[in-house]
Amino acid sequence: MISFVYLACLLAGIGCMLLIDYRFRLFFWRDAAAATLVTLAGTAFLLLWDAAGIAAGIFLRGGSGIASGVVLAPELPLEEPVFLVFLVLCTMVLYTGAARLIAHRAERRAS
Amino acid sequence: MTYALLSAGFLAVAVLGGVLFARAAGPARPVWGAVAIAGVALLVLTAVFDTLMIAAGLFTYEDGLVSGVRVGLAPVEDFAYPLAVAVALPALWVLLTRRQAVSAGALLRHAWVASRPVSWVNTAFPFAAAMLLTTREIDWLLVVGTLYYLVPYNLAMYGINDVFDYASDVQNPRKGGIEGALLPPEFHRPLLWLALASNVPFLIVLLAAGTPASALAIAVSTFALVAYSAPRLRFKERPVLDSLTSSAHFVTPAVVGLALAGARVDAGLVLTLAAFFIWGVAAHAFGAVQDIVPDREAGIGSIATAFGAARTVRLALVMWLVAGLLMLAVPWPGPLAAVIALLYLLNCAPFVRVTDADSARSNRAWRRFIWLNYLSGFLVTLILILFWSVSS
Repeated sequence: MISFVYLACLLAGIGCMLLIDYRFRLFFWRDAAAATLVTLAGTAFLLLWDAAGIAAGIFLRGGSGIASGVVLAPELPLEEPVFLVFLVLCTMVLYTGAARLIAHRAERRAS
Repeated sequence: MTYALLSAGFLAVAVLGGVLFARAAGPARPVWGAVAIAGVALLVLTAVFDTLMIAAGLFTYEDGLVSGVRVGLAPVEDFAYPLAVAVALPALWVLLTRRQAVSAGALLRHAWVASRPVSWVNTAFPFAAAMLLTTREIDWLLVVGTLYYLVPYNLAMYGINDVFDYASDVQNPRKGGIEGALLPPEFHRPLLWLALASNVPFLIVLLAAGTPASALAIAVSTFALVAYSAPRLRFKERPVLDSLTSSAHFVTPAVVGLALAGARVDAGLVLTLAAFFIWGVAAHAFGAVQDIVPDREAGIGSIATAFGAARTVRLALVMWLVAGLLMLAVPWPGPLAAVIALLYLLNCAPFVRVTDADSARSNRAWRRFIWLNYLSGFLVTLILILFWSVSS
């Protein structure tokens, strides 16, 4: 069971981001198709980056007890693409949220 | 390569992407203040959580390749990841959601239809079967390649086709006419960009993971993909070249799979590929017969407009016969595949004397093709399973 702690944390993180998204209609709940494209593009780009790092021998998988041990490719654990999706979601929730706050403040100042 | 150099390279690509997305978005600028807030927040989160993840032993770095400068436990190079996404993705989001843009949802729906989901398997299967039968295992490269030949490859092939056939399809009542299921002009550019963006990452991985032989196969395959309907090249309007290119669309994924797997080239393999290719040429040529009249009216060339209906049908029949005979020379269980050629001969033989004026009638045999192709795929799968057990 303990070996799925990291994966569970990542999924919980993704769940929290989606809850914020749902509450404030920021990303998927504003334009689901555009959000899907951004998420796919971001994740694919970061995966290529990881793959290049693995191919260059820079990244090595650790032997952590909280990792599932499932590997998708040499040195690429199952958790990595999940983490990258989380990173993209976190980025976009931060950006769209900050943009919303800035717009609100500008509106208040104008009125 | 050091981690610093790698990260600098990818960060530069991300910055360039961000600038290009922002420029393409026109007046709908990203909120740069919000980009800065997101960037700073991500840097702080990275310092904290990267340190925790490294402390937990989730991953390590090759000591000789990292600079050694660390924030907490996080190598300073790791901070390029959050910077890259913070710079590039908000600009992409603004580009996709700006008011003047076509809606991303409508674009995805058009992309789905344009990619011909019914035909996805026709290119993914040859790749996956060729590679699996060679390596005898499912590894990451097989999965990545199969995904590529399942969706992005078909999106590029049929998407380019639909965009550059638009002008002539509008004139052709069989394709639905002006109010038919054609791709509206405002989707042309976005669809081409989507095809490019979905193909390039896969092609980079397949090229990087392969050998010079597989790179050559991918180059030929990608060229055939584009040349069939792209402007100026328009191989689909050049008699004979049209059928050869069309067949290459389905045979080259198998060749790429064999090359990536490092298959040993022997006579049986060459004969099988040759038979597959000839079968594909015959299928395309026969399919062109039904369009002779509208194609000639529109001034569009094809193998059938050049040779005439009856001669094209006869040519196709001869090619299926040759394909079947070639399979008889392949080691067991290859000869079983000769039965498949027989099915196509029986289906199309009734049209051996069809006239040009009457050529639209061959559409009846063409419709049966769709089911015949599934039946053939089923039979080929059985033969391949038999091959697997005979040769292991």
